[in-house]
Amino acid sequence: MGSLHDSRIHKWFATSPPVAWTVRQLRELLIGSLKQGPIPQHVAFVMDGNRRFARNHHIETVEGHNLGFESLARILEVCYKTGVKVVTIYAFSIENFKRSKHEVDALMSMAKVKLEQLAEHGALLDRYGASIRVLGQRNLMKKDVLAAVDKAVAMTAHNKKAVLNVCFPYTSRDEITTAVTTTVETYSTPIHNLSTPSKRTFSESHIAQHIRKQELGEDAEAGAEQPESRSTSPASKDANSPGEDEVSSSTSTAINSSEKDEMQGEVTFLDPESISAQTLTDNMMTADAPPLDLLVRTSGVERLSDFMLWQCHETTSIVFLKCLWPEFDLWQFLPVLVEWQWQQKKLQEEQQRIRGRPKAD
Amino acid sequence: MPAVTIAATGLTPAEEAAFRSKQLSVQQREALIKPFLPPEPSSSSESKPTKASRIAARRRRSVQKPKKHGPIKNLVFFATYHFIALLFSIFFRFRRAWRLAYIKFVSLLKYHHRTPEFIAGDVSRLEKLPKHLSIIVELNEDDEQQGNAGLEGLMNDVCEIAAWAASAGIGFLSVYERTGVLKNYLPQTHTHIEQTLELYFGASRKPTLSLRAPHLSSYSPPTTPPQTSLSNGTTERQHLTVLLLSEHDGRDTIVDLTRTLAEMAQRGDVRQEQINMDLIDAQLSDHVSSEPDLLILFSPTVQLKGYPPWQLRLTEIFHLPDNKGVNYQVFLRALHNYAKVEMRLGR
Repeated sequence: MGSLHDSRIHKWFATSPPVAWTVRQLRELLIGSLKQGPIPQHVAFVMDGNRRFARNHHIETVEGHNLGFESLARILEVCYKTGVKVVTIYAFSIENFKRSKHEVDALMSMAKVKLEQLAEHGALLDRYGASIRVLGQRNLMKKDVLAAVDKAVAMTAHNKKAVLNVCFPYTSRDEITTAVTTTVETYSTPIHNLSTPSKRTFSESHIAQHIRKQELGEDAEAGAEQPESRSTSPASKDANSPGEDEVSSSTSTAINSSEKDEMQGEVTFLDPESISAQTLTDNMMTADAPPLDLLVRTSGVERLSDFMLWQCHETTSIVFLKCLWPEFDLWQFLPVLVEWQWQQKKLQEEQQRIRGRPKAD
Repeated sequence: MPAVTIAATGLTPAEEAAFRSKQLSVQQREALIKPFLPPEPSSSSESKPTKASRIAARRRRSVQKPKKHGPIKNLVFFATYHFIALLFSIFFRFRRAWRLAYIKFVSLLKYHHRTPEFIAGDVSRLEKLPKHLSIIVELNEDDEQQGNAGLEGLMNDVCEIAAWAASAGIGFLSVYERTGVLKNYLPQTHTHIEQTLELYFGASRKPTLSLRAPHLSSYSPPTTPPQTSLSNGTTERQHLTVLLLSEHDGRDTIVDLTRTLAEMAQRGDVRQEQINMDLIDAQLSDHVSSEPDLLILFSPTVQLKGYPPWQLRLTEIFHLPDNKGVNYQVFLRALHNYAKVEMRLGR
């Protein structure tokens, strides 16, 4: 592997108009044909290897990150054109704050510049229909970066076709912890602080009935408010609805006993037994994204490094690639996608076989 | 970001240069990007908030679609897709055949011969060994491969791996199996592993064994008191702990923890600020397991099948592509691979 400057002739050849045109047409053709098969709905990338790439090519680490960003841009193009709905990228881990201050600052300012540039071209982004979301610990970000983040998020918020999740200061354990805390908070706030009218003039059963009715309404509202700072898409509401049903049924059992409780002046809570894995999933930062289908990590490191643990430990295909992130392009991604499609086809065949077997027996 | 994106597919040096320096104006930059964008802003129509308009837009789009790429282009895409699929499926099959042949070849060279010394010799060059090794095994319903279907096959696999781990000098082995069927047979599993260890090490040298599963009490042998082993041999006997995990120890345990915490919060026993990562980590590593250093998959692809998520944070994941079933070679290669890896915490 020579330095970047050695490949000047190669570069001249690759950028000559006819070659460039052919390559572009070939890309379009490949992307268009990939679309014919099943396409993962949610893809996550761990963009590993920028620093090693910089070291190999004797360039600044920061420049390596810049090249990594360009690579990300190419991949996003491929993903959105093939029809991937959600792309999640691991941009910055909370652990990364342990790196040299110079590098952290450079990464932060790069993020800021890219986001500012993006804000200038907000209208162009709409053509892909992609909106940006930032997942992570906001309070660890600097103020100016946070402002740029908020601007970019607000700018693209109206796009519904595709989503780019940027995990900014993120670790998965932190995400799970936040989800647990949020759930505990929801379940430990009293569900009704109703000032009941004096009991002497009204019938108790009537009041209880009334409260029950009111609560059903209130619950639905609480359910909708629950995921804070997240735009609840219709899809996620559908996913929520079984959970809400459970909640409301449990509260109706709770209110039966609350007739006694009211006399003692106690408060009622949601039943903790109704907490399910779905409740926690709904409180994750990726709640409204479809389940993770594919996770790609470059640079040959076969570890998750605290990324998407909750999302990827079930049926996600995890792929570890040897190439470094700045080298990652359609040509590396194509085999991954085709293999995924192949596996998906096999899986379908197997399911059909299993379904067919009881009939045969 | 995609706006920058498309320009970054940049083909002329001028375009690349344009993105390094911020000299260009917004208009100039947009002009550069234009040729790479999809032809029409069809998607923006979908972003309208009302449901009716969205449906209308979808309908419009579905009408437009055939016009957008003509039938010929669609045919070309279709043909190319199937051509690529065919090409790759041939490639995948050949690759699998080659890999399987290679695996067979290597397993002829490297065989443990049920002798701990051979295994110890195989790992003697390694500078670092995982303290906590974890494996994912499967309960095969049908007898696709001979001899490892059903509970018996699973039991055999677990016993063999336990013996390899003990021979290699690993003290802690956790075995993940989705359904957790072995948890119902703790005593039987214990005797089986004991027998296998005896087969490998011989009665006098065999390591002591304790078997446990989360939520169940540890099953330690009452028949082999440690005192006798100390008096017998000059050196202390090796000890192996085997931990059985199942799907229940993953998400469900975190949900259980959340329930408990919610109950405590309702009673006012715990405040919200007190719930943090350390608390959860302590609870989960006490009740389920600690973080494994190395996770070995015996499946052809990496799919975690519900392995406890919290513990996976920095675990090295090893699988041998296209390998199917428990195999000594996979175990050995995983250990070799682990020893070579440099540990970098901050990615």
